[in-house]
Amino acid sequence: MQVFNAFMKIMKKKVVISVMYLWVFAIIGIAIAFSDGGTALFEQNSLRICVFDEDNTPESRALCDFLDKDNELVTLENDRDIILDALYYDRVNYVLTIKKGYAEKLAAGNTDDLFESMKMHDSYSTVYMGQILNEYAGTVSAFIAGGNDVVTSVGKAADVLSQDAEVNTASFGEEDNAVLSGNASLFFRYLPYIILGTVMSTLCPVLLKLGKKDIRFRTNCSGLSPGSYMVQLFAASTVFITAVWLVFMVIGAIINGGMYSGTAWLAVLNSFIYTLFSAAMTVFVVSFEPSNLVLTILTQIFTLSTSFLCGIFIQQEFLGDSVLAAARFMPTYWYVRVNRMLAGEEPFDSSLAVTSLLIETAFAAAFAVLAVLVRRAWYGRASAVTA
Amino acid sequence: MKNTVVKAENIIKRYGDLVALDHFSLEISEGEIFGLLGPNGSGKTTTINCILSLLSFDKGSIEIFGKPMTPTSYDIKKNIGVIMQNVAVFDELTVYENIDYFCGLYITDKAQRKQYVDEAVEFVGLEDFLRFRPKKLSGGLLRRLNIACGIAHKPKLIILDEPTVAVDPQSRNRILEGIEELNRNGATVIYTSHYMEEVEQICTRIAIMDKGKKIAEGTKDELKRMIRNTETVTIEILGLEDRIKDRISTLPHVYSTEYDGTKLTVGCSGGKHNLVRILGVLQENDLSFGRVYSELPTLNDVFLEITGKALRDKED
Ligand SMILES: Nc1ncnc2c1ncn2[C@@H]1O[C@H](COP(=O)(O)OP(=O)(O)OP(=O)(O)O)[C@@H](O)[C@H]1O
Ligand SMILES: [Mg+2]
Repeated sequence: MQVFNAFMKIMKKKVVISVMYLWVFAIIGIAIAFSDGGTALFEQNSLRICVFDEDNTPESRALCDFLDKDNELVTLENDRDIILDALYYDRVNYVLTIKKGYAEKLAAGNTDDLFESMKMHDSYSTVYMGQILNEYAGTVSAFIAGGNDVVTSVGKAADVLSQDAEVNTASFGEEDNAVLSGNASLFFRYLPYIILGTVMSTLCPVLLKLGKKDIRFRTNCSGLSPGSYMVQLFAASTVFITAVWLVFMVIGAIINGGMYSGTAWLAVLNSFIYTLFSAAMTVFVVSFEPSNLVLTILTQIFTLSTSFLCGIFIQQEFLGDSVLAAARFMPTYWYVRVNRMLAGEEPFDSSLAVTSLLIETAFAAAFAVLAVLVRRAWYGRASAVTA
Repeated sequence: MKNTVVKAENIIKRYGDLVALDHFSLEISEGEIFGLLGPNGSGKTTTINCILSLLSFDKGSIEIFGKPMTPTSYDIKKNIGVIMQNVAVFDELTVYENIDYFCGLYITDKAQRKQYVDEAVEFVGLEDFLRFRPKKLSGGLLRRLNIACGIAHKPKLIILDEPTVAVDPQSRNRILEGIEELNRNGATVIYTSHYMEEVEQICTRIAIMDKGKKIAEGTKDELKRMIRNTETVTIEILGLEDRIKDRISTLPHVYSTEYDGTKLTVGCSGGKHNLVRILGVLQENDLSFGRVYSELPTLNDVFLEITGKALRDKED
């Protein structure tokens, strides 16, 4: 039990790192939980906007109407001090000046330098507002260039942009065939990121420590057989990853607002298989004996790239076809597919679910086998007898 | 005749094109402190690793306690304690936990292990540091921890690979005394070093290595008798004429004279009154001289005479 105990003692020290990952995750989780079905986080907040229309044409007034739909328009005296005061005391969030010549420029297809704006600080909403204005101007001038008259273009642009916003928030959770609550499906969507991060950033250093050349030599000098050594290491790793996984399942159940039922258990199974994959990936990385720095970088690259490419940070429907084609070669993609079906974002297809789970399992097995092969090659090269 | 503990015969070990051990043989009897002396890169660590079956070798055979040594000879391994050249401990574990871990690889009985660990702690004098982590220990204390981890299970054969590298003289003496004590308590010791003073101080028998070959073996007196040098006389003197230097080199027992402008070095073999005779020549010629010293041969002289180069750099 020496190796097992040492594993656990070292793990206790490393767990601080995984706690860090957990904190990040907990904060995301809380933000989701408080944001009503997970949609609010992605919606544009309504702003208090003050517009000074220096152009005063039908086009500029159309823009005011467009802004009025989702925001509150406020009127202020056009005096620098008063405006600054209002911004400071949050009576207004965004002050927009539509410059003279706005309509002419749009008609000429020129969208540069149409506006001036003032805001207190860059929040998500104010930055977003800037983007909306650009997008609006660009769309209007595109419709004008397409041969529409100004009034039609303005109307069409407003339509297009508000549709866009609806699409952005459409597919979160509320469908009838969802077996996980909106919050829980979001939690499970982010889970691969956090599991891979936690397992790699804690298990890797511990395994590396125990397998460090000098320590390995010392261990190999002792009466302990490599068989017994591996068994203890395997047992300890299993206990650890199971514990990590269980913690997340409990959190998931809490977020789901009750125990999983029916097909929702598929999410639990899905995450367990993904945990196994994470462990296999860890063992694979460890077999190259990377330095701490390389390890940190690798962990970041793996967790972030899979998260961005496979539909965790960005929903799969917003990813390009080529990205999705590439993502198919990562188990995370298949994890997300299963999760999407459970969240009602895709019709449920039991054979696709089974296939996805099998593909994830195959990835786990493949990395475990690769790890063994790399280890053999590695020690073979160093001409050591014992591994 | 005492039992043979380690017997290595004609070991050849190659790293690619480099022949790290070249027909290397060794026989160590029970109760010895056997010194393996050689400059950096001469193959000491490689020898140790081969003896322990940590490395495979190309040719030759190794027996320990009269049985062939293989990677799976756990009954043999149980009776060996190893202290590697590099400190091998867990930074995350305390001093006590580290010793307990390595001792536990040999001793499974908890009560006995606790007693052994306590004894090892006392032996290396780390009682006050039990709850320290290795990073907080000074270099000397760290080496002592490294030693404690290797000897806590009371092995019959203890192998130490340069355990005193980068250790201050005081700690070094403590470590050397400890090794002698372990030996008095019945352990056979293999000790590698490139510090000839240490090896001379504690080893009962010494093998000198160079480039993977054993170039000499014996007790330190036997080794010194192998060479003609018995005494080296050094005299600080300015403006020595060649005529007088030649005169000195014709004195009985003198086999070499060297002069570098400030210092005259005279190698003598045999004879009792070499210093008096040399100084006599200088006085006859009314020459004044500075400091004078006479040294008995060291293992460095042995190495120097056999290989034509110094064992290690002077400042080392
Ligand atoms: N893994 C290896 N691969 C290739 N060459 C090696 C390897 N290990 C050692 N050598 C070479 O073998 C030779 C003997 O090395 P070894 O470590 O046994 O010397 P040493 O006497 O212990 O030296 P030191 O006093 O520096 O510890 C050296 O030339 C070294 O460069
Ligand atoms: Mg060495």
